[in-house]
Formats: sequence, C-alpha cells, structure tokens
Amino acid sequence: MQGIQWEDPEALSQLYDRYSGIIKALILRVVHNEAEADDLLQEIFMEIWNQAKNFSAQKGKPLGWMVTLARRRAIDKLRKKQAYTRAEERLQREIEQQPEAWVHNSTEEEILDGDRRILIRRVIEMLPPPQQQAIELAFFRGMSQREIAANTNTPLGTVKTRLELGLKKIYDGLKELRDEL
Amino acid sequence: MSFEEFQNCARMFVVGALEPDEAAEFEAARREFGEKAEAYIAECYSLSEAFALSLKPAKASDQVKTRLMEMVRKRQAH
Repeated sequence: MQGIQWEDPEALSQLYDRYSGIIKALILRVVHNEAEADDLLQEIFMEIWNQAKNFSAQKGKPLGWMVTLARRRAIDKLRKKQAYTRAEERLQREIEQQPEAWVHNSTEEEILDGDRRILIRRVIEMLPPPQQQAIELAFFRGMSQREIAANTNTPLGTVKTRLELGLKKIYDGLKELRDEL
Repeated sequence: MSFEEFQNCARMFVVGALEPDEAAEFEAARREFGEKAEAYIAECYSLSEAFALSLKPAKASDQVKTRLMEMVRKRQAH
C-alpha cells in the first residue's frame, strides 16, 4: 500500500495480482454478472489508486479497506441497476428454494482449494443456517435489517439477534484461528 | 451504551448492517470511547476480510489489468 501511496504503478500491479481474484469473487457474489464484475473491478482498483492516500494502517489491514470499498461499490451498482427489482424477485425465489445458499455453495472442489478458505468457511458453517443467511443478505446483498426481515418473513428483532449472534461467533472463531491464518 | 454493546454494534457496522438510528447511536459511542473504539473497529474488519476470503477467487479478464495500468500511466503522464 505504501508503494501505491507513493504513486508507484508497479505496486498497484502487484496488489492487483495478489488481490484481484478475491475482489472479483466478492463483486461477482453481489452483481452476478461477469462483464459488470470486470468493469467494476477495474473501477475499484482505479479508486484504490486514487484513494490510497486515505488508507491508514492504524485503521486496519489493506484487504479490509479494499473489501469495504469493493463491497460498497458493488452494492451501489446493484441498487442503481434498473433490474434491481427483478434481482430482488430472483433473490426471493432463491431464498424460498434454497434458504441456506452460503452453506450449499461449498463444493468438494472448493473444500480442496485453499487451506485458509477452508478454515474460514468452517467457522462460518458452524453457525445455524438462519444466522448464515442473515449475514449473507446483509453483507453480500447490502440489505438492511428491515429488508432482511421483509424478505425472509422474519420479525425484525429476530433478524437483529441472528446478525449479532452470528457475527460474534464468527469474530470469536476468527480470533481463535488467527495463528493458523 | 456500554462498551460491550458498542462491540456488538461495531461488528454490525463493518458488515453494513446497522439501521440508521443505530448508526447514529454507534457514532456517538464511537466518539465517546475514542481510541479504544477505533482499535476495536479496526479488529472487526477481519470479519469483512473473512467473508471475501471465504469465496473461491474469480479470474478477471486479462484486459482489465491492461486497461487499468494504461489509465494509471496516462494519469501519471498528465
């Protein structure tokens, strides 16, 4: 990040090589469109280049900062799309058909691919499915607690509790894993 | 708001799950707890990192990097 703050293009090139796969996966998870994800990926790395001066290591690691920026941009894109309503309808169908999307997205191939991912997924998958679903909808869909409540026909207070409990368990689980990651 | 309640809110904050009224209370508590609050929030970003790292990385088109680096170099040339 320091190299980018000093406006060294080679530093951006290295950062891109290291993190573009993760950032694109995140964008794709939100927008579900390959071409849009590539466009957004380029915009986000340009924004990283432009905003690097605002990054402070005291406020966290570069990846956390980039993920926050990428997630925000991807959700903005999703919301701006005129097809947002249709996406919501699709999501509603997904929820009805497959209420534990995060759990079921884990395939055998994925489990073999990358120790760090396996460990993180293990922590996430320890949560009861309703907690996973609430976190998935908040983080990857940018839904508010009220939107989650409406989309899952769940009382608002229950949604809040699921988010709080789920996030605490993941946070504590990650802390225990810190040495292994 | 106690610090334990603040910690709950901080975890919700980093994943964008606070409602507007909660966000206002959170910001007030954040100012009140100062550096201790900022340090905890920085730790909470491990959550958003973990959610991104839980996904299988996706291959970007080679053209994306080419275009990006061209834009950066053009900007530097100006």
